[in-house]
Amino acid sequence: MKSIAIDAEVLAGKRFEYQEDMSLVEDLDLMELTPGKDLNWLEDIHLLEEDDTPAVFDRNSNSFIKIYFDIPEGREDEIARKVLMKHLISGNSYGIQLKEIHCKYHQVELGPWVADSKSVGDNWTPPVLEGWEPPAH
Amino acid sequence: MASLTKSGVVYDARGLVEPDPEPPMTAQIDGDSAVIDATDLSTRKINLELKRIVYDEGVNNVTILNPGSKHSLGVGILKRCNITFEGSPGWYACGLIDGPEVQINGRVGWSLGENMMSGSVVVEGPSGSLTGAALRGGDLVIKGNVGARTGIDQKGGTIIATGSAGINTGFMMQRGRQIICGDANDGLGDSMYDGIIYVGGKIASLGVDCVPGEMDDSDVEFINRKFEIYGLGTPPELKKFVCGKVLHNYDSLEPSERKLVL
Repeated sequence: MKSIAIDAEVLAGKRFEYQEDMSLVEDLDLMELTPGKDLNWLEDIHLLEEDDTPAVFDRNSNSFIKIYFDIPEGREDEIARKVLMKHLISGNSYGIQLKEIHCKYHQVELGPWVADSKSVGDNWTPPVLEGWEPPAH
Repeated sequence: MASLTKSGVVYDARGLVEPDPEPPMTAQIDGDSAVIDATDLSTRKINLELKRIVYDEGVNNVTILNPGSKHSLGVGILKRCNITFEGSPGWYACGLIDGPEVQINGRVGWSLGENMMSGSVVVEGPSGSLTGAALRGGDLVIKGNVGARTGIDQKGGTIIATGSAGINTGFMMQRGRQIICGDANDGLGDSMYDGIIYVGGKIASLGVDCVPGEMDDSDVEFINRKFEIYGLGTPPELKKFVCGKVLHNYDSLEPSERKLVL
């Protein structure tokens, strides 16, 4: 059966450690990672469910990051946000990985959440299909 | 559409057809701050200079003087930084940004913060129609009135207007929050799918499937927090409006189809 999954781990071909171990995301400072004096855009991020598994949605790759550890009651959204941010600042989002190849203009690779992220998109050239000739007209 | 500036420089006021991709290198940089005088610069030159300073020079605090209501200023900045406009930008200001905290000491035209992903934009004056169109995240704070179709197709984030809002505010809104301290014109929240609209004044009429909601503690905490962050004083008494979900028909989709839709 053809897979139609849009999970982050399917796109990456592997499951990430922070999907299974909460201690790897506990220390993240969400206020530090977001602009302004509150959670800013992270306020719209909530713990969801995908295939009966807790998950958080990554808009950069249009995929769900499933969370396999037990989430303490009352911390659902906080943990979902931390898993998402860990995914993003680690550069593991498939959308971020596509930037290197497809960005057509200058931008930081990892997004605004990492201050010293490298730039991509400065020298993009359109791909050339071998054997293709532009139409004469 | 050639335009003449004070110094006689001719440029295309629409920002079109300007093949020179080189930044003008006219900004005054002082440590982590920089000032761009936009008086004689075209839209493209201003944006090129802004990106050069923020990306290449690593400057985090940029002031743009004399924006002259030119359109599409400060668009596509995908890095955390502080940008201040001393004056009024025109249409489409600060669209597609992801991270910057912008202060506009003036007024703005149509489509402020269109498709903004994160960060904040604070305007010390009114804003035109389509403010926050397709907003994805972050805060838009307008200290004045906002025009028609504010937050059209809004998908996240927060829009705060201390004044009144025009017709069809929140049209087809999908997520996010709006706080309209003044009145709202006809068709508030028309065809909204989700999200919350708070209104302090009179509402001319509600749009299709926009219904009153119950305020709870989380609403009060959210409103008080945003007002405190942006120094807006005490919030007015607000009424809450949400989607009635009569128009929802997602549940008829098979789960697999729903995945493809996402």
